[in-house]
Order: sequence, then structure tokens, then C-alpha cells
Amino acid sequence: MQRMKALAVFAASAMVLAACSAGNNTTASGGGSNVTLTIAAVQGVEDTGLKALAPMYTAKTGVKINIVEAPYADLYTKLVNAFQANDATYDLAMMDDPWMPKFGTMGALTPLEPLGIQKDTDIAQVVWDVGTWPPPRGPVPPSEKDKTKALLGVTIVGNVEMFMWRKDITPSGPASYDEVLSNAKAQNKSNFAGYIIRGKATNPVVADFLPILWSFGGDVFDENWNVVFDNANSLAAVKFLVDDLKAVAQADPASSDAAERDKAMATGQGYQSSTWPGEVNTAVLGPGSTVVGKVGFEPIPAGPSGKGVGMMGNWMLGIPKASKNQQAAADFIKWMLQKDTQMTYAQNGGIPSRTSVLKDSSLQAANPYFSVLADALQAPPNWRPRTDQWNNVETILGQELNKALAGQESADDVVKNASSQIRTLMKQAGYPTAQ
Amino acid sequence: MPLIVKRILVWAALTLTFVVFVFPLYYLVATSLKTKAELFQAVPTLYPHSPTLAPYGSVLFTRGFLQLLANSVIVGISATAIALVVAFAICYPITRLPVQRGTRNFVLNWALSLRFLPPIAVVIPYFTIVRTIGLYNQLPALVIVYTIFNLPLAIWMLKGFLEQIPAEVEEAALVDGGTRLQAFRHVLLPLASTGVLAAGVIVFAFDWAEFLFAFILTATPQSMTFPVGVQGLVTQFEIIWNDMAAGGVIAILIPLVMMLLARRYVLTGLTFGVIREK
Amino acid sequence: MSAIGSGGALGAAEATPPPSGPFGQTERIRRSWSARSRQERLGLRLLLPVFGVVFVIATIPFILAVVRALTSDNGAFIGVDNFSRALGNPQLLESLKQTAIYGSVVLPSEILAGLGIALLVHRTVHSPVLRAIIYVAAMIPIVIPQVAMGVVFRLLYIPDYGLINALLGQTGHDQILWLSNSVLSIFAVASVDIWQWTPFVYLVMFAGLQTVPPESVEAAQLEGAGSWAQFRHIELHYLRPLLLLVIFFRLADVLRVFDHVYVLTGGGPGRTTEFLSLYLYRIAFRFFDLGQASALAVIVMAFMIALYTVISRFLPAETR
Repeated sequence: MQRMKALAVFAASAMVLAACSAGNNTTASGGGSNVTLTIAAVQGVEDTGLKALAPMYTAKTGVKINIVEAPYADLYTKLVNAFQANDATYDLAMMDDPWMPKFGTMGALTPLEPLGIQKDTDIAQVVWDVGTWPPPRGPVPPSEKDKTKALLGVTIVGNVEMFMWRKDITPSGPASYDEVLSNAKAQNKSNFAGYIIRGKATNPVVADFLPILWSFGGDVFDENWNVVFDNANSLAAVKFLVDDLKAVAQADPASSDAAERDKAMATGQGYQSSTWPGEVNTAVLGPGSTVVGKVGFEPIPAGPSGKGVGMMGNWMLGIPKASKNQQAAADFIKWMLQKDTQMTYAQNGGIPSRTSVLKDSSLQAANPYFSVLADALQAPPNWRPRTDQWNNVETILGQELNKALAGQESADDVVKNASSQIRTLMKQAGYPTAQ
Repeated sequence: MPLIVKRILVWAALTLTFVVFVFPLYYLVATSLKTKAELFQAVPTLYPHSPTLAPYGSVLFTRGFLQLLANSVIVGISATAIALVVAFAICYPITRLPVQRGTRNFVLNWALSLRFLPPIAVVIPYFTIVRTIGLYNQLPALVIVYTIFNLPLAIWMLKGFLEQIPAEVEEAALVDGGTRLQAFRHVLLPLASTGVLAAGVIVFAFDWAEFLFAFILTATPQSMTFPVGVQGLVTQFEIIWNDMAAGGVIAILIPLVMMLLARRYVLTGLTFGVIREK
Repeated sequence: MSAIGSGGALGAAEATPPPSGPFGQTERIRRSWSARSRQERLGLRLLLPVFGVVFVIATIPFILAVVRALTSDNGAFIGVDNFSRALGNPQLLESLKQTAIYGSVVLPSEILAGLGIALLVHRTVHSPVLRAIIYVAAMIPIVIPQVAMGVVFRLLYIPDYGLINALLGQTGHDQILWLSNSVLSIFAVASVDIWQWTPFVYLVMFAGLQTVPPESVEAAQLEGAGSWAQFRHIELHYLRPLLLLVIFFRLADVLRVFDHVYVLTGGGPGRTTEFLSLYLYRIAFRFFDLGQASALAVIVMAFMIALYTVISRFLPAETR
């Protein structure tokens, strides 16, 4: 009985403690300018700059900022759930650009120009384009053809995929994927991978693979939403990844995500790989890294098509229609876009999108890849297919590629299975996918 | 085989089993005390070289998980309390009043069959309901869902405990001239209290551990629970294993303490009374 | 719902005389309200409203799922379209296959291991202190949240940093890719389940072994029975109802597994560990195909009711 009493006391005190701490944490109401903006952000390196900037904004304007993080896939689920619930939970949502079509089609985001956000030329045009729905170029989903174009998201992480290699081993980087392979074969030894594949399902491996696919002249869809993933170029690209590169890659590409890839590079266990700007200063050259000063950056190498096509993966901020703090949210975005804020942002681990900031000489030393990034944005890079089904397509592609990297199927199987699943999916979703 | 060899083998097997079960938990605690720099070494270490409580501070305060902890406690205790009351209201007639067998069997069978129901199947319609009545991202939504979901378990556990109390005890009180309500309050309730508390501990442990509903029905720390937070630490971009381990340790500690306090009755509860308390 | 109502182990056999309840009443035929005893009326007045509310609240999701499964995304009634899509999806079969593999690895392992350890401890460890320590230690895994289990085992299995691979690396062995090899990944997630629930099986079996009367054991040993025969003919008899109970619980939990698999592998590599619950999750909350997901939910619920009806007949009478 004594023990039971102890239990009851324990439970009661836990309850009291919980109630007190919960009471302290509820957002304070009252007072006119006591606005709190809740931002749904992705957990990882991408929101480092955002988290650093938030207290500065609060100090300047008194608006409190509450950042709620979630891992990549879960963030997508949470955002769609919140939008479906038409819930005022989030005032700002951090979105990976491939999610834009889904959110745009759902009509879940507020147009930003009426709230005072103006495009300016110091930011590369592609950045404004990627945040516009329906997309200003490329195939438009049939259900969206008649909508007026509106700016729904503004880039806060100007990510374009780049290539990195150990420049202390080979001073000049590979200009083509053929060179990538030959260098990898030459450099590959135990404990030092010739090429580090980011092969985890599903978004990681697809993000890593698409530049290769495009540089080989392949693609997922053509202008009319037909699936071309099983044409000759695409197959060659898949074979290049799952046969050629895998042979000179690290032991476990199928479960390697960016964290593993970066750690391998940072601890001197890999020779080259693709990379996102957001990972560079925080992981590749971050704390514990033994390769600071030894890594070179360049745009994506060219494939047999003669072109190296980088992929953009901008993280944008958008305002959910259900938010009750629309203007306050828009003001925050405006502040983030200002040049001085972008300078501070860059100094705190953020990836700016203003060309003037990226080319600023004072930032070059700490961020050797900035000017590469500026050029890459002007190129312009390619973006992932603008369809609200993209998440499903990516899941299909990702799972098939991952299976091949885990040795469960061949490149031919990958293109066959993936293509047929994608065709079924797109037809079901009402796209004019012919075959 | 000579006896001594047999004994050595058996003891070796038992020791090995013990190690297998204890070691992962040890490693969790060890990892939770490591510094971030230690995590970046190429070869992981078996024990923290310079142990620190920093990961706990990071998890609870920097990442704000204290709020999630509070939410889990509030939801757990509320849902458990309501579930126990409702379960008692259902179990009392079934075990101590002459309710017809068909009704009784229906209730008990219904409750037991729900053990086979995968929560994900129910989440999908529940999400729609919660959305419609505007309880998305609110703690009461979780309390309601957890209560309903653990009610069958509570019913069966209480049934197991109540059946162990002989009917004569209450009858004696009635014969002595008391009303049924008095018999209930002064005789049955004290006898059943240990069972009720044990059932409460088990239900709380399951509420505490619940992940899927909390994951789908909540969006911000206002209503997120601790397991959802722990899962969020399993990230793809950063190597924050010490924080992740610290979160794991905290997640284990609370139901563990409660269970240890109630351990005499936990097994009886979990087997719905089939195994009597020692 | 009538399949649940009077069937199952709880509708006991008629061959034995109807058992008496705690107040000496025996089975009655249905009678009118006023003919029932005051006590019975009190019982029903308390039970029916409370249970009625609970039943309604708990059944609404079923109905909603059925409704949603019969409608399109825009709300139009489309009959069994979603059902045929759900059943025609080859990934469903894959998922069921993987779930079956998982179950057939986990269940026998847990039960045999738990039983084996219980026998070992019962026969070799006689010190009550030691037994008490083992008892308490065995209860710990039960209350560990599944998400935390995923975290614990992630620390062991991840390549490079995971402890097992690190130890292998130290001894010069190659890395074993626990989480990205199709065979090993199932083993990895199965090991979590086995680790967490073998102690529970142990506890139940051990408690059961305590109820075996020592005289029977002694008598058997006097007649020269070896330990295996002793087990088969005496102890198993006492353990049988508990074994069935344990199989019932573990089967139900194994079929529903989600949390620790989600944390450990997320369903991968490929779809190897995408068991039934994870498959449903992907359709509902990654693809957001709520029509197909609702159809799947209805199918799964129907299947589970059928499974319960079949299995509960084997439950020991003590769970009446």
C-alpha cells in the first residue's frame, strides 16, 4: 500500500509540474503588438540561418517567432495535414520547391505580391519563377492551366546542387561524368570511396540522381507529361549510377543520406560527391572536419549530352491561407529579403539568394562556393517536374533506385518498374499521359 | 554430460541472455552522456570519455522538449483517469451484478477484438473527425482518442482484478444493512484500489508511448507529445545521437519509475487476471 | 458485429452446466424488463448508457471509413472503385508478404526464447533474490515506448557509427549493412520486437511454471522421466492456456506493428520492411490517396474481426 501511495503522489506531482510548465509555455495573449509567428521548418542544416535570424527579428520588432521543426518527409505530411484541416497553426511554412505544385494545386497558400512583396532583379529570375504557381515555363498540370500566375513562395535557402571534390588530391575538378568515373576508379580504395552516393530512399537518392539523369539527356516527363524515364538516355543514366558509380562507391550507398555522405567527406573517407550548399559549412567543412581548405566546388559536370544540368532545391517560405497573421508573416519575409539581412543571414550559416550578396568579397573566404552558386542560379538550373503528384513520383523513383543500390534489382528493372508505376499514377491523377 | 559442465553452460546462457538484454539500454544511456565532439570520431566509444549532462539540457530546454514532456504527462494522466472511470463503470456491472451473459459477452468480446485493430486504420477517419470539430493540434483531441483506444485494455484489466475479489465481501456489507453504494465505497473500492492503480500504470505507459495518433493529430509543441519529439530527433542531416539518446532515456524513465512502483500487480494486469499476483 | 457478440471464447460451451455468477444466479432466458431482478436492472442501467456512448464513439470511425471508401475525392459516390484499386495494387500483396515473414520470424522466436529462458531459470535458479531481480528486470522492456526502442537499436545498427558495426570494424570484419540489406533489415526490426517482448513471454511462462504442483514433478522424476518428458507431459499441460494467451496477444501486436519500424527503417530498404501498417500510412499520409486508404482501412478492419473470431475460440476459458 505504501508503494501505491508513493505512486499516487508521484503522479500528482508530475501533473502539477506539467501544468505549471505548460502554463508558462502557452503563447501570451493580450497586448496589441504581441504577435507570435509560428514557422514550420525542416529539421537539419537548412533552417540554421532561419533559427539564427529569428531572435534578431524579435529584438527589432517585438514579434515573437516560434520555429517548429520536423524531419523532411514528416514536414510534408504535417503541412498537408494542416492545410487540409484549414488550421491556423502555422503562419509561415518552409517548403521544398518540389512541394509547391501540391500546395499550389490545393490552393493552400496566400499570393504574396498583394501583401507587399516585390520582385527585384538582384535576385535571379529563376528564384521568382520557382515560387510562382502555375509555373511560368515547362509543362503545366491540366487542372491548373486556367489559373492566374501568382507568387506563392519566396526562397530563403538558395540551394542549387553542386559538385565537390578533394582538390588537394586533384587540383582541377572533373568537367564531365566520364572524368568523374575515371577519377573515382583511380582514387577508390578501402576506406576511401571514389564517389560517395547519397542513396537512401526516397527524396535523398532522387535528389542526388536527377542531375545525373538530366546531364545524360534523360528526364522523367516530356512537355506533354508522357513518361520518358525508360528511354535510352534515361536508362544510360540509371546504369551509370547503379552499376558504374556503385562499383567505386562506399560500402552502403542504399542507407546513406546526406549526413552520412557529409561525414564521410568530412572525415576524409570519400573523394567526391554532389552536395547542397546548405551542407557545406555545417557538415562537410563543419566541426570535426579534417578537410577544411581541401575541398573544391564547381557546377554539376557535363554528361554525354554535353551539358551539366544542376538541380535547384530552393527552400521557400509561404504563408498558409488559414494563418491569422498574414501581414505580419509577409513583413517577416520582406525583412528576410533585405540586403543587410541577407548579409547577416549568410554570416550565420544561411544561404542567401541575392546575387550581390553571393558575389560579395567579404563572404568568399568563409563560403568558397558562393560565387559558384550565383553563377549556377543564373544558368538557370533545372527544377523538378511541376506536378502535384511529384511526391508520389519521387517515392516511386526513390524506392526503385534504392532497391537497385541495395542490389535487389537491375537498372533495366528500375526504369521498367518505375515508368509503369508512374504512368499508372499520372493517368489516375488525370494527366494526359499517353504512354 | 557431467552435471558441472551442464551447470556452467546453463549459467553461461543465462548470463549471456542478461547481457543481451541489458547492453542496449546501457549503450543508450552512455550515448546520452557523450559530447558532440566525441560523436564525430570515426570509431564510436563504448563509454563516454567525458560524460556530460549537456544533451539533456539541449533536449529539454534548447529544443524545448520540456513542453512536449508536459503535454505527454497531461494527456497521459487525463486519458488514464477517464479511461479508468469509464472502465470501472462498465466492469462493475459485468463482474458484480447479474447482467445477462449475452450482454456481458458482447461487451467483453468487443473489447478484446479491438486488440487486433491497427491504429493506422482508425487514424484516417479520426483525422477527418478531428479536423471537422476543430480540434486539430489541440490536446483534448489526444485525450479523447487515447481514452477510447485504451478503454478495452482498461476494461479487461479491471475485470481481471475485480474478479479476484470474492463476492462475499460485498454481500457481508449488504447483509449488515448497508446500501450498495456504501458497500461499493467502503468495501469494494479499497480492495480494488491496488488493481485500479496497477491498471492505471499500464494504461498510462501505453498512452505515454503512443506515437501515431499524436504524430498525425498535432502540429506544434502546443500539443505535440514526447515520443513525437524523439522521433523528430532521428534526422537525416545531422548527427545528433547524443540528444536522440537523451530523449530516449527520458522517454523510458517516466513509465519505468511508475511501473517499478506498481510492479507487484503489473503482470496480473497485463494478463487480464489470468496470472494471479504472487 | 454479431460475430463478435456471442461467439469467441466468451460464449462458452453448452456441454457443461451453465456456470453460476457471483451471486448464484444461473443462465436465464430473456425476460421482460420488469421480470428482471432489481440488481440486474441496476447493472444494465449503469452499463448500457456508458457502454452505449463508448460503442458509438468507437464505431463512428468505422462508418466514416466505409463512407469515405465509397466516395471519390470530390465527394461523389463511386461504389467499389477505391476497393478495387486498393486490392488491385500489387504493393499490397508485397506488404502482406513482408508482414507474414516478419510475424513468422518474431512470434516463434519470442515464444520459444521466453519459454526456454523460463524453463532454465525455473530449473536452475533457486535463489529468491536472483529470481526477484530477474522478475523486475524482465518487466522493464514492456514499458519502454516503441519509439525509444527504435532509437536504442538505431544506435546499434546504423552503418559506420552503429555499435555492432564499430565492433566488427575493430576486429577487422567488413561492415554488415543491417538496415539496407533486404534480409538483414527484417532481422533488424524483428530483433527489436523480440528484445522487447521475450521478457514478457518469460514472465508469463515463469509464473505458469510456478503453478505446476511439485508432487507431480517428483512423481515423474521417480519414474525416471527425463527433463524433456517432464516438460512435455506435465509442465506443458499447465502452460498451455498461458501459451495460447501469449500467442493471442503477440500475434495481435505483431500484425499491428508500426512505431519502431518507422523510426528504424521507415519501411526500407525499398519496401522490405513496409509492413501492413506502414503501407497504410504511406498511402494515407505520403500519397494522400484517402479514398484508397479508407478502402484499405475497411478491408483491414474486416479482416481483423474475422481473424479475431477464429482465434478467440482457442483462448483459454480463464479469460471468460
